Amino acid sequence: MTAAQAVFLTAFAVVTAVIVAAVWVIVRSARRMDGGAYPSLAGLRRLGRRPADRGEMNRWAFYAHRVSGLAILAFLCLHVLDVSVYAFSPKVFDQVHHLYATVPMRLFECGLLLALLFHALNGLRVVAIDLWDLGAAAASRLLTGVLGVTVVVTIAGSVVILHPVIG
Amino acid sequence: MVQAVQRDNPPVQSRLARRAPYITIRVTGVLLAVLALGHFALTHVVNDVAATSSSFIARRWGSATWVVWDGLLLAAALLHAGAGLLAVVRDYRTRPRDRRRWLAGLAALIFTIFVIGMVVLVYSALGASR
Repeated sequence: MTAAQAVFLTAFAVVTAVIVAAVWVIVRSARRMDGGAYPSLAGLRRLGRRPADRGEMNRWAFYAHRVSGLAILAFLCLHVLDVSVYAFSPKVFDQVHHLYATVPMRLFECGLLLALLFHALNGLRVVAIDLWDLGAAAASRLLTGVLGVTVVVTIAGSVVILHPVIG
Repeated sequence: MVQAVQRDNPPVQSRLARRAPYITIRVTGVLLAVLALGHFALTHVVNDVAATSSSFIARRWGSATWVVWDGLLLAAALLHAGAGLLAVVRDYRTRPRDRRRWLAGLAALIFTIFVIGMVVLVYSALGASR
């Protein structure tokens, strides 16, 4: 491993720590934020009780939106820095860039795709709710659609991303 | 209770100042749905990530379309993140002094990333066109 790769992996560890810290703050603050319980296994079980608890899904989508947004920003900071190596030395950039094609980084990229897709689609859902003044039932149906498209496209994208290392 | 509410709320702002983050998040958000997902699709699905090496960047930044795409993507993403972080910090940091410190720190981070990204993009694009 070269020095540049070691620096990248250290920075990547910092990004991971920031993401974990963001999840911790958001989950810990859930009770204070909107008077509900922390996201918990009991809460997860309540999600099965539809449609009476549709509001619960929106709340979870809100937390997931924050977590995915902060995770994408943390990665974006690292990504701008690793691409900036290109301006100094394309050779050193290629050393760092080799790491992106490794199996653990490809798995991370699948997670990144999941975060990007959910954040983008759920964000568009929020815009639609505001623009057309949608009610709870329509918002809930849209969320189901968001989750469905996110899961399907993430799986399809992950197959493409992981294909060179599996096949 | 009244005191708590007063302490939690920032001083009265103009209507535009109150609406600016809301509008910024939505306008850049719609833009990013295309720019960011397009960027990811191009570098991970259309091309394998192993192929996006320095020669790929050299080729890509030789084209004005992709330089503009990447510049817009960086600016939109950081504006979006800044406006989003404003809401996040206001939710989790209630003391005005804490808020100011967090917002100043995060603004400095975003500004630094923006400057580094833009300088690298323009410098490399000029180098590629030479």
